[in-house]
Amino acid sequence: MKKKLLAFVLAAMLLVACSGCTIQKTVRVDPAGGNTAAAGEAVGGVSNKVKKDPYTADEIKIAYVAHDIGTPNNQAWLEGIKRECASWSNIKIGEFDGQSSAETQVRLMGDIINQGYDAIIIQCSDGTALAQSVAQAEEAGIPVITLNLDADTVHSALVMAVDYDAGRMAADKMAEQLGGKGKIGIIQGVPGLHRTDNLEQGFRETIANYPDIEIVDAQSASFEKEKAMTVMNSFLQSHSDLAGVFCINDAMAEGAALAADSKGLGGKLCIWGADGEKDALAMIENGQMSGTIYTNSWDEGSTAAKIALLMIGSEYSYNVLTETPQVIMEPIVATKETVGSIAAEDRW
Amino acid sequence: MKNFNLTKYSKPLILLVFIIVLTILRPSTFLTVSNFANVLWSISVIGIMVCGTIFVFLIGGIDLSIATLCGFCAVVTVKTITYFHNSTGGVFAGILAALAVGAAAGCLHGIVITRFHIPAFLVTFATQSIFLGLSMIVTSNKIISCTEPAAFTAIGAKKILGFPLPIYLMILIAALAWYVLRKTEFGRYIYAVGGNATAAEISGINVRRSTVLCYVFSGLTTALGGVILASMTQQAMASTGSGYTNDVITAGVIGGVSLLGGEGTVLGAMFGAVLMGLLNNGLNLMSVPSTHAGLVKGLVIIIAVGFDALQHTDQARKKVKKIVKKEA
Repeated sequence: MKKKLLAFVLAAMLLVACSGCTIQKTVRVDPAGGNTAAAGEAVGGVSNKVKKDPYTADEIKIAYVAHDIGTPNNQAWLEGIKRECASWSNIKIGEFDGQSSAETQVRLMGDIINQGYDAIIIQCSDGTALAQSVAQAEEAGIPVITLNLDADTVHSALVMAVDYDAGRMAADKMAEQLGGKGKIGIIQGVPGLHRTDNLEQGFRETIANYPDIEIVDAQSASFEKEKAMTVMNSFLQSHSDLAGVFCINDAMAEGAALAADSKGLGGKLCIWGADGEKDALAMIENGQMSGTIYTNSWDEGSTAAKIALLMIGSEYSYNVLTETPQVIMEPIVATKETVGSIAAEDRW
Repeated sequence: MKNFNLTKYSKPLILLVFIIVLTILRPSTFLTVSNFANVLWSISVIGIMVCGTIFVFLIGGIDLSIATLCGFCAVVTVKTITYFHNSTGGVFAGILAALAVGAAAGCLHGIVITRFHIPAFLVTFATQSIFLGLSMIVTSNKIISCTEPAAFTAIGAKKILGFPLPIYLMILIAALAWYVLRKTEFGRYIYAVGGNATAAEISGINVRRSTVLCYVFSGLTTALGGVILASMTQQAMASTGSGYTNDVITAGVIGGVSLLGGEGTVLGAMFGAVLMGLLNNGLNLMSVPSTHAGLVKGLVIIIAVGFDALQHTDQARKKVKKIVKKEA
């Protein structure tokens, strides 16, 4: 019995030790599904790329795999990619909807690799789940550019909006608007997503620098406007002296603002979002919302497309990389005073 | 006292226990008019939709397309309003267009199910994709904002005597559904068809027509849900209403509506919706983190529904005992 117990404990320890080997950004996943290796160790040095010229008659196919193609952000990226490639009729853009599911994205990635696309632009629903598909694509000579949500394997490029810093900036500006004191709430998205978790962490750690600001409540509204209205109603019910609320995305901030309006508190609360959707910017302009962290998502999509075309037109291969190169988009703190500087053609 | 029948009062009793527990836990915030307005407002769309869908459940059918049809009707409403340059007349046109789409969808479901004898599950499973696809095409997969006119935004937000308009609409629809099911011949036909369709057919009930009408009712309430949802959020997109199929079916089943047909009441379905609303409200007021909310919600639903089911089983057992005694 004791031997069995010992064997069980040892097996459990082995399992725990193995599960500790989570894939880091600087780790290269074996596309065949074998062991992972540190990026620097597995560098072959020989390019696996077939060079094409995207600006001539070569037929080019770029796949865009959205996390959820119905969201404004995913649509703005697609629009940016299309705009970037619009001048060349030989470049075709294939749109694929991940339906907010990593499993669907994995299946789509398999199809895309088989169809011989020349580059893939993807927002990974789950970086770990997608790591092997991304590695398989890169191994097949298809450069992969991730958007905002990274893959846990070395790949051609990551184009991202700031996350931790966006939370930090929102916290500082919100504290300034509140005069450094007051009770606030947080309306969260779905826990476990790298970007939004970082955003919330940035916000919480920065707001902790203001001792007279207290976070009294935090509830999830699953990124949805309608659910955010219900959550905001209960915040206002529980905390009659609530001074403000920080929402992890703009859709929820818009919902919170509508809920505040219906209680006769329109414009009286400090309501912040993050993303910079055009509806949120309009609400900031008319005083329903206090601010958001704006990123030009059209430009972000366009940047990803530029990198894809660069990769397609060169022999540059992910083999030479030791970690994924990053492009970080410029964040703009949009408040009633600054929102006018965001031109109509930059509002997505 | 000897004849006190707990079965009859088990559902109100469960709600009362809920209210007492939440009042003790949150004395200053829970038992207020504004909080009850919050709870009822949050379940108003589910409440309206379940009042129509219950007709489908009662004949032993199912409608899996509720969520995407709701989204499509929201899109139709907003698109029509913007087509008429956000005028008040456009709001009426938008509402009528949505109701027409809902009724047409219900009619289509009913005809395909009865004419071609295809299971309702398959038909509505297929149409849910069709409605989602239509919404995506019409909106180009973008959000269509509609913050004007006031006549439109008032549908979801206008308050009368401290309660938002959707609550009154929910009560009105529930009263209508209750009347049709309890006081009309058609209502009795529905229970008969759900209980045994062949027997109902033999006894002269037009099963085919009743089935089509039930799906039309479901389509109409779903469309109204879509209109209210679009007004509440002042926008529409393809994903509007996502998750509502589960919510509506759950509210019905919690309220004792049998998915096999022939069993269930409007009051029961409304009880299910209110219980879900109270539960969500309680979790929010007690600041239960989202990581724990699912677990707590599931456990409370099992306890509440288990208690209700136990009362019914006890009652049935007592009836059997009585009959056996009589026979003896």
